[in-house]
Amino acid sequence: MMDLKKLASELPNRYVEEARERGTKIIGYACLATPREVFDAGGFFPYRIRGMSVTRTELADAWLSRFNCGFCRSCLQLALEGAYDFFDGLVETNGCDHLRGMFENWQYAHPRDFFHYIRVPHLTNQDSMDWFVEELELLKEALEKHFEVSITEEDLLAAMSLQGDIADKLRRVYESRWGDEVRVSGGEILALMTLEGSAPAEDFSRLLDEVLAEYPSRPPLKYRARLMLGGSATDEIELVSELESVGGAVVADSFCFGGRIFRGEEPLDGPPLRRLAHRYLYNLMCPRMFDDYARRKAFIDDLIERSRPDGVVLFHNKFCDLHGVENVKLRMDLEKQGVPVLTLEKEYGAAADIGRLKTRVQAFLERLGK
Amino acid sequence: MAEVDIREHQGLYERVYSLFSIVGKLRPDISEEETEGILKLLPPDTYRALRSMLRQDLLPATFAFMRTLQVWMDEAFRAKEEGKKVVLVPFNFPPELIHAFEGAFPLTSEVLSTLGVVVLEGQGERYWDYAMGMGLPDHMCSSNTIELGSVLTGKDFAPDAIVSSAPGSCDVNSSIHEFVSHLLGVPHFMLEKPGDSDRRGRELFGRHYLSLVRRLEEFVGEELKEENLRRVADKCNECTDLYYDLWELRSRVPTPVPAIFALYTYATRFTMWGRDEGIECLRACVDLARSNLEREYFPAGKEEVARPLWIYLPYFFDFLGFFDWMESHGIANMGDVLMCCFPQRIDTTDRDSILDGMAEAAWNMPMTRQMGGDFMSKRWLDDVVYAVKGLNADCTIYCGHHSCKQTWSVFSQVRREITRTAGVPTLCLQGDSWIRRMTPMAVIQEELTAFVDNVMRGRAGRREGKRTRRSRAGRGGEAAAAAGGEGAPSPEEDIGEADKD
Repeated sequence: MMDLKKLASELPNRYVEEARERGTKIIGYACLATPREVFDAGGFFPYRIRGMSVTRTELADAWLSRFNCGFCRSCLQLALEGAYDFFDGLVETNGCDHLRGMFENWQYAHPRDFFHYIRVPHLTNQDSMDWFVEELELLKEALEKHFEVSITEEDLLAAMSLQGDIADKLRRVYESRWGDEVRVSGGEILALMTLEGSAPAEDFSRLLDEVLAEYPSRPPLKYRARLMLGGSATDEIELVSELESVGGAVVADSFCFGGRIFRGEEPLDGPPLRRLAHRYLYNLMCPRMFDDYARRKAFIDDLIERSRPDGVVLFHNKFCDLHGVENVKLRMDLEKQGVPVLTLEKEYGAAADIGRLKTRVQAFLERLGK
Repeated sequence: MAEVDIREHQGLYERVYSLFSIVGKLRPDISEEETEGILKLLPPDTYRALRSMLRQDLLPATFAFMRTLQVWMDEAFRAKEEGKKVVLVPFNFPPELIHAFEGAFPLTSEVLSTLGVVVLEGQGERYWDYAMGMGLPDHMCSSNTIELGSVLTGKDFAPDAIVSSAPGSCDVNSSIHEFVSHLLGVPHFMLEKPGDSDRRGRELFGRHYLSLVRRLEEFVGEELKEENLRRVADKCNECTDLYYDLWELRSRVPTPVPAIFALYTYATRFTMWGRDEGIECLRACVDLARSNLEREYFPAGKEEVARPLWIYLPYFFDFLGFFDWMESHGIANMGDVLMCCFPQRIDTTDRDSILDGMAEAAWNMPMTRQMGGDFMSKRWLDDVVYAVKGLNADCTIYCGHHSCKQTWSVFSQVRREITRTAGVPTLCLQGDSWIRRMTPMAVIQEELTAFVDNVMRGRAGRREGKRTRRSRAGRGGEAAAAAGGEGAPSPEEDIGEADKD
């Protein structure tokens, strides 16, 4: 599976090239709250924006600031450099204040012809749910109108079914680490998770078939301790691989480029957009959802119970307020349960930070007695 | 980090309350000599705030303001003793709703933090340090983390519930209030601004507001009475009228409104709006400003060198070094965006109309109004441009409070658009509005001086030069303009000149 990391490290990857040749429209999105099934159903290629560990952000810094998180600045930097010029449109979500700023500046300084804003509620209640259903209807209408396509209920149901199959396959690889023998590294899983957002659904499904066929024949990885990771949005594959190099096998995570992708089950009844809205809104597992900590905590407890980590490492990107606060709550609560926790603040994508982080993780492994 | 030792009765609220109880005993006609004598006994941090507020030319308004805050804290204290619910609210939640309850009283996190910073020796640093010691990130907002840090010590006045109205307009504010309610185990009521500033967003916000009212009624164990709501709404309307009177007075050139009145206005908005004390405080500010105007007394002088609007927050950690310093240097403070709540009179016909008016007020509270909704840059810019024009501001300043990620996110484009649409320059500073450690006041003063000397005086000079040139050209140009020919500058050209500045 070494090819996965390479594939995940390319922005206009082979899928983008193939899509361009086919004339498939590519729509950029950033946040897990964006229901990709709507794009799939319309024949679009939804592409999840990544920061690619870019550390030179001078173009982005002219718009965002040094008080904004490095992940968003890196994404904007790539956009302003033209790395995302293969997008035919851009879809914003109000994931967090930094992300909102990234989109507003992107559209102001380097606009796309198609720009749509999905306003995702921060609370889960009936009013918010009804609102979010309307938001998905507005998204569908905007796509249909601008690109002159039709998205039918049947298309949506087919897209949802395909995403369901993908989630099943992805889960099999992801959960393969939960036994004593670990054959897939955390770095590889993160690569796979980023590819989930940068490959068309059918292609990604085929890729998963290859992975499922290949990994069981691998020898188990050697490790000192089992770790679970969590925290701010990150696509830093190298960082995870480096941390694993000191002996911690990553067996689970609660990243939004990670364990949160599974999004739980959707209700079986009702119109497709309402089912999608319910599944996304109630399963974001992101601290941008307020009054929802209990659900997130239960999600993490469940991951811990099933993946059996020796300890949990929680990261937050500098200036990421949501995860910065969430990690304190989680640390306090998990430590009360007897789960060892290491919290780390990091600069997104900064290679210079890796040495420091490795030292901290090494010390943590020693604390775990491993 | 060294452990911060906070003993019994060393919480922020109790310390501020004790100090205000003493200050409240001062005679309203205290002389300058007496003031100086008494203030010299106080620690330096306390001195610098009270010295600014107890200036002779501010006394009637300052005493009304201090009385407002004293009653506010007194009532909270009494409410606790009487078993009423003390509800902690953020600054962007209008307190009048809680004032309409008989069994509840509102306390505002950010106002308490500010009071702690302003009047306590050591400012709010020990509480901030305590919060940092718990592992909270240093990019949290000091405006609420100072007060909430104090609450978390367990040595301070603890609220019975927390209302948060920042979801949709500030992640930091929402997170910290949620965090504290989680740790204290007290109920947490959230009011979200949907990501849409139009009618659809407003309708959902109205439903969220009514749902919050129902949940609060359930929590307090009391159904809001129409007569209580009307009593409060009538007083809100009086406050609203006075707010616009003060706005109009501030817009005069030169302005008769003292710099610190911006703070008096919104501190009242955030605490005792809809109460007699709030009305008295605002009326005292209006009366004093009117009297200044009549006797041609202008706190920043007749020849103002700059009229800045602070486009988000000002600095609160040194009143003497900020408000007084600006005025003594001819800088007329046009206030900041915390003033930009643009209240509307509430229709008091019935319970529904009153609650709808209160929901509208909540929709328009600072930060909610500017940062919630569609695009952070758009509504913020609209309000800034409106205020610049309405107040005759000639420049804007962004204080760069490090925690305001949402404003930092879009500041660059807002600055460009301010120049383009309002034709005024913008100074960008960096600092923490409530903590002096990040940028000391001396540095802020230096930056302001450089801006005024290099940009504002230069603009004034160029404007004067332009007027002279036009005046010279006017003799021939007027005839050409009358004929629609060359020589008549268009409004676009005027803006173009401003851009060059």
